[in-house]
Amino acid sequence: MASLIMQMLEGTVTSLRIFFLTLIFSLPLGFVVAKGKMTAIRPVRWLTDLYIQIMRGTPLILQLIFFYFAPFYLFGVSYDRFTACIVAFVVNYSAYFAEIYRSGLQSIDRGQHEAAKVLGFTRPYTFFHIILPQVIKKIMPSLGNEVITLVKDTALAQTIGVAELFRVAQTASSREFSTVPIFIAGIFYFVMNYIVSRIFSVAERKLGYYR
Amino acid sequence: MERMIQLENLSKSFGETEVIRNISFSIEKGEVLSIIGPSGSGKSTMLRIITQLERADDGTLTVDGETLFRSVGGKAEYDRSAERRIGLKTGLVFQSFNLFPHFSVLRNVMEAQRAVLKRSREEAEEKAMALLRKMGLEDRARMYPYQLSGGQQQRVSIARALALDPQILFFDEPTSALDPELTREILHVIRGLAEEKMTMAVVTHEMHFAKAISDNAIFMDKGVIVEEGTSLFSDPTEERTRQFLSSFEGDD
Ligand SMILES: Nc1ncnc2c1ncn2[C@@H]1O[C@H](COP(=O)(O)OP(=O)(O)OP(=O)(O)O)[C@@H](O)[C@H]1O
Ligand SMILES: [Mg+2]
Repeated sequence: MASLIMQMLEGTVTSLRIFFLTLIFSLPLGFVVAKGKMTAIRPVRWLTDLYIQIMRGTPLILQLIFFYFAPFYLFGVSYDRFTACIVAFVVNYSAYFAEIYRSGLQSIDRGQHEAAKVLGFTRPYTFFHIILPQVIKKIMPSLGNEVITLVKDTALAQTIGVAELFRVAQTASSREFSTVPIFIAGIFYFVMNYIVSRIFSVAERKLGYYR
Repeated sequence: MERMIQLENLSKSFGETEVIRNISFSIEKGEVLSIIGPSGSGKSTMLRIITQLERADDGTLTVDGETLFRSVGGKAEYDRSAERRIGLKTGLVFQSFNLFPHFSVLRNVMEAQRAVLKRSREEAEEKAMALLRKMGLEDRARMYPYQLSGGQQQRVSIARALALDPQILFFDEPTSALDPELTREILHVIRGLAEEKMTMAVVTHEMHFAKAISDNAIFMDKGVIVEEGTSLFSDPTEERTRQFLSSFEGDD
């Protein structure tokens, strides 16, 4: 039992690495994608839109397989499963975050930009001090949902053989002819998401000082 | 008298629609100009061009002796180096206030002083508090915009604009989002500024008010100035002006 828990904790570490690496890259990248989707340059907007459509329109599990095998079939190079997994997650989640950012940016009244312009704020100052704080508040709930989904989605990494929590649990489960490891994994995911949702509700409360 | 605004032959189209056609007028220092006219006549667009929220197609604009754009070969040629400097001389008060909701009232009035004019915290705060006091909002300084009435929000936005010491302040229907009581509040503030000889241009549908405070007035329709001068309120010469004003009769 103790060794099972140890194995599962190791799996959890892998899951958490996927989780954090995905967030570190896709949270900022999502902004770049959102900008691409909102640009006046038509080909860029069109390509960004296509990319987002593909990411949202196909299963993540398929994208994982694609990013793991495509480099080999296309260029004859292969890289390790973990890297492939991070690439797939980042590419996928950037698209989802981009849509969240875009809806947030578009929900800000034009008058905010205009007031800032008339008062003489520079464009970067306007973005970072006037617009972004309001966007963050607006998108907090949908961002929270997406991050919770990410915790659960990390389980898909097993498709390309990454030994994350769920894979460890399944392996242990078939080895010991018992579903107990699966249930333990369920508790682990639940705890992780409990923490995530607490963090988000604290953040939402902190941002609740204005409307 | 010295000239604050000199606008000559301004034209502006949005796509195919010509919104401003060859408009010229001037505002002297210390003068209050009121701009009236039906919806869609181009009043906002004109203010937005002078305050640089829109670009002119053609014409010449001089603000306090500095030229923002000049008509060259049928096109408005902007002086890039003057844009920012002139922008700081002009202030604009919006119909919808457009306060920054995530900043306290005090910070709304301080932020541009700090970030744009690089004033010290002490100086900016002192200035902001003085203006809030003047607007009767001293005790609201620590509150957030959502906690204020529309009239109070508009007074904060006037304080925010005044904090940068503009040479001229533009108002685009500052009371249209307010009920009659709050409207009086704002008109009272504007009247006070007029008494202090603040140079202002006010787009408004409050005819009695406009008549009372204006040194000059223009009536716009379909992108042109139909009639000019305060006599248009009491003794309009153009039929179009008469018709427009009669639609306000019985109003207060
Ligand atoms: N950004 C824009 N793009 C296209 N058309 C515009 C734009 N802004 C204004 N217009 C058009 O220009 C015309 C003049 O608009 P403007 O807002 O200047 O009128 P206004 O006199 O301020 O009217 P109101 O009293 O309703 O505020 C209108 O027909 C309007 O639809
Ligand atoms: Mg208007």
